Order: sequence, then C-alpha cells, then structure tokens
Amino acid sequence: MSARRYQDRARPPNLRSEDYVSGQVYRDDGVFRDELDTVLGKVWHFACHLSEVPEPGDYRTFLHALQPLFVIRGEDEKVRCFFNSCPQCGARLLGDGAGTAARLRCVRHLGQFDWSGRVEASAHSGDNAESDVLSAAPRLREIHAETKNGLVFVNLDDAAQPLDAFLGQGLEIFDEVFGDDGVEYEVFHFHRATVKANWKAWQETIVDLYHEFMHVVLRTTQMTAAPMSARDLRVYPNGHLAIGGLKADYDNYKGYSARDESAAFPGLTVDDARFTPLFPDTTIITRGTVMRIDTVTPLDPHRTIVESRGLGIKGEPEPDRLMRMRHHNDYWGPFGRNVPEDAFAAEACEKSFGKGAGRYQIIARDEGGRGQDDLMLRAYYKAWSEMTGRLAHSPGNS
Amino acid sequence: MPSDQAIREVVYRSSMALDAEDFTAFMDLCSTEFDYRITVYSPEIRKEMIWLDQDYEGMRALLEMIPQHLKRLGTLKRHVSVYIIDHDATAAIATVTSSFIVTHTDPDGVSQLFVAGTYYDEVDCRGERYLLKKRRAHLETRDLGIGSHIPI
Repeated sequence: MSARRYQDRARPPNLRSEDYVSGQVYRDDGVFRDELDTVLGKVWHFACHLSEVPEPGDYRTFLHALQPLFVIRGEDEKVRCFFNSCPQCGARLLGDGAGTAARLRCVRHLGQFDWSGRVEASAHSGDNAESDVLSAAPRLREIHAETKNGLVFVNLDDAAQPLDAFLGQGLEIFDEVFGDDGVEYEVFHFHRATVKANWKAWQETIVDLYHEFMHVVLRTTQMTAAPMSARDLRVYPNGHLAIGGLKADYDNYKGYSARDESAAFPGLTVDDARFTPLFPDTTIITRGTVMRIDTVTPLDPHRTIVESRGLGIKGEPEPDRLMRMRHHNDYWGPFGRNVPEDAFAAEACEKSFGKGAGRYQIIARDEGGRGQDDLMLRAYYKAWSEMTGRLAHSPGNS
Repeated sequence: MPSDQAIREVVYRSSMALDAEDFTAFMDLCSTEFDYRITVYSPEIRKEMIWLDQDYEGMRALLEMIPQHLKRLGTLKRHVSVYIIDHDATAAIATVTSSFIVTHTDPDGVSQLFVAGTYYDEVDCRGERYLLKKRRAHLETRDLGIGSHIPI
C-alpha cells in the first residue's frame, strides 16, 4: 500500500460530523475513563427485576461502572442499593450473585449490618457498636435505587435526577405491556457473557437497524413482514430510543411456526416486535410473547459483560412457560439464532477498531426516520458527546 | 441385555458427528422420539433454566439452517467420558450419564475450554441399531462468550 492510500484511509470521511464516529471511542483509555465518570457514573442503570429479590433479605450483586454493588429488599419491602464493601475495611460483603442474607456480615472483622445498611454489631464489641471503629462509618454506603414497572434502577451520582425524569417517555412503547395491573412479570432466563468488544459495540447491535441484514432469522421473519415505512423510530431526551412497527412472520424461518395469539403480552400481538434502548447501557425488547432485557457492563475498553434476562408472566402454567422459553431461545440466549451473531459482530468490530485499523464508523443512513435509518445511532452518540464533553467524531486522545 | 459397548458408541458417535458438523450423521443416530434440551442452573435467579429445547423435527430444522448463519469461526471438540449405564427392567431403554468438556479451537489453532457439563441420555435399544432417544445436556459453565449455533 502506498503512503498516499494510507493517508486517505486516515482522513475523516467527507460527511457531516454527526454522520460518523471515530474508532477512538471504542479503544482509547482516556475516553473510557471519562465514560466511567461522566456517563456510567451519572445515569440510571438497570440492576435487576423485582422478581429477582421477591422477599426481604433477598439480594443481587452486580458490577456497574467497575463498582461492585448489590441491591437488597428490606423488611419495609424497599429495595436499596449499596456498595458491596465493608465501610470499615473494604472487604466484599456478599460473594454470591444472589441469595438471601440473614444479615450482611463482613468476613474480615465480622461487622454486621441490617438490610437497610445500619450497623448492628461487631465481633469486637458484641452488640455495642458505639464503642467500635465501625461507629466512625456506621452505615453501608448507599446509592440511589428506584423502581419502575418492576425494573430496579440504580444511580451512582449523589445529585442524580429522579428516575422518572431521566427516563421521560423512554418506556412509552411498553406502556400497555407494563400497564396491566393483572399481569406481573418474572425473570426465567439469565445469562452473562464476557464479550471481547467495547461496550458500545454491543449496544449498537440493538441501535444499528441496518445490522439486521446480518441475521438470517431477521432477513426471513422480520424484514419482509411489514413495510419499512411502517417502522416508527423515536428519539427521546437523555439519549433514550425506541422502535415500534416491527412485525415478524415466523413461518418464514424453517423450524419456526406461527404463534398462538392468546400467548401475547398485554397490548401486543404475537407478531409484534418493539425495542427500547435506554441510554446508555440497557435495552428492553419484546417479541409478542416474551421479553428480553440486556445490560452491558464494560470491564475495560476492549471487554464487556453482557447480561441478558428473559421474562415471562409470573404464575403462568408450565406449558405456557415452556412455550415462552422456546420463543425466547429461538432468537436469544447463548444458543439462540441471533445473539451469537450479534456477539460475533461486536467482536469482529473490536478486532478492527480495537487496534486502530478501523478508523471511523459511518452512521449517515437517512431514511426519514423510518426503515433502517441511522437516526438512533446519531442520537446515541449525540447524547454520548453531551455527557462526555468529547465529540464522537473526534474525541481526542487520552 | 443390550450391549454396553454399543450404547457407548451411540454417545461417542453423536459427539463425533457434532464435532464434524455432520448433522445428517447426528440425526441418523437419533430416534424420531428424540427430545433434546440444554439445561443450566442459574444461581443469579435461583432457577433451573432451559437454553435450548427441541424435538426430532425441531432439531433437524435447526441443524439444517446452521450453514446459513454467521457462525463462530473455528471448531468445537467434545471430550466425553461415559460414566454410568443403567438398563430398565425391559432392557428397552438405557440411561447413560456422561461427563463432557467442549473445547473451541480458533482459526489460529488456539484452543480454549468452551463449556463443561454432563449428558443425561436415554438410548433406545429395541431395534437393530441403538438410537439416541433423549438428551439433557446440563451445563456447569454459564459464561459462554459469544455462544454457539451448534448444540452441545
């Protein structure tokens, strides 16, 4: 390759600045550190579904912005979130992903806390916590936790705006799904996968509609089931997105079959598909009969934990649950037809952007807010730029 | 009494067929009653989960469609040890418990552990050829990276 051609490759695309993203946003250490502080450290992050902590004392641990956290349901039924760390010595309090804690106990000094984070006792002073060093840090360090539609969100920012203000209308395409008081949902599927890719590359597997060409299942069941002009792409404040108007013709993929209309969630038909990517790291998807919630948790610029949940209706008969599991697994899960392809694509992008061979991602597709418009990608990176203070097309080096 | 050696061969040949992505050979080892599941226990949600659930026709369709998918590069290799073979009273069905690990070898020749688990199989011993009637592939590994289009 001549030097001239190399320079051409390095030159920014001849496009509007909002129509491309620099590869640096996927690999630069300084960008990543800024994301932890200015994006992930500020937003409301989906932690778990209420059905995962049904009883007082039930907890779920997780990582967010590299911080070990847990949510726990208290005796007052309130779900709180704490750093998974003893305030005296820093030792991790809960080692498992989930469980029921009689009390929260530090393994190092046996300091003990109740479900609301108050110190109860220490090994040194028996029940007299006042005389112990724990009295200097009498509570577990709590962060904001709020619940909406059974979804538990947490926020590391002491000055965070309320969850409702952050979400705005971002969940409106699920209003009917979540709005039926007679229907409660519960998680029946969970898997965590470590993907060798930047965290935003996974989120793009949802936000980038043009990528559906990659999936033979979507080419056969989705792309021709409804006109592209029927797609309804929505952009909300704070970077939240939604797409409605998608349909699926399940008969078009070998081995799949049409679904019983009675199995649909409230407000949906079985052939409906709706997506809401909540900025910056969560996505809620329904396919008529089943729901998936994804979160992405970066470990570093090049590795990401993806957590996926599948939800059905709480208390439904076993045959219905098996039916929803099958519908879930048709597309999703580690042996689904779509999810391994999304992960493969995210890792393929990492192989290019991660070392600098990939210079830019073009997000210039304009279909008037319909079809496979890149509108949602542009909106995502606009919100990202506003929060990081870096331009997505030219973020600068660390 | 059915031959334990022939029963082992059904289990081993089924693994070799999947390794070779010879899906016709795999289905040829299955009875038309074949019932397949991948199961996993999630300590995170404290539930037994089903990650794949197919009958004979479903499995055949799933395998036939694999070449059309964007599939992980490299190969999977199943290392299987048959631990226990139990025969029912009529000697018609043998239940077989086997341990497995599956390695993934990438195009550069680097191998890594992909998944560990246990097969709980039922082998139909009534015909001239023994056939796989039921398979429960119960996984210990839960983080499967990018996952797999090919059943375990």
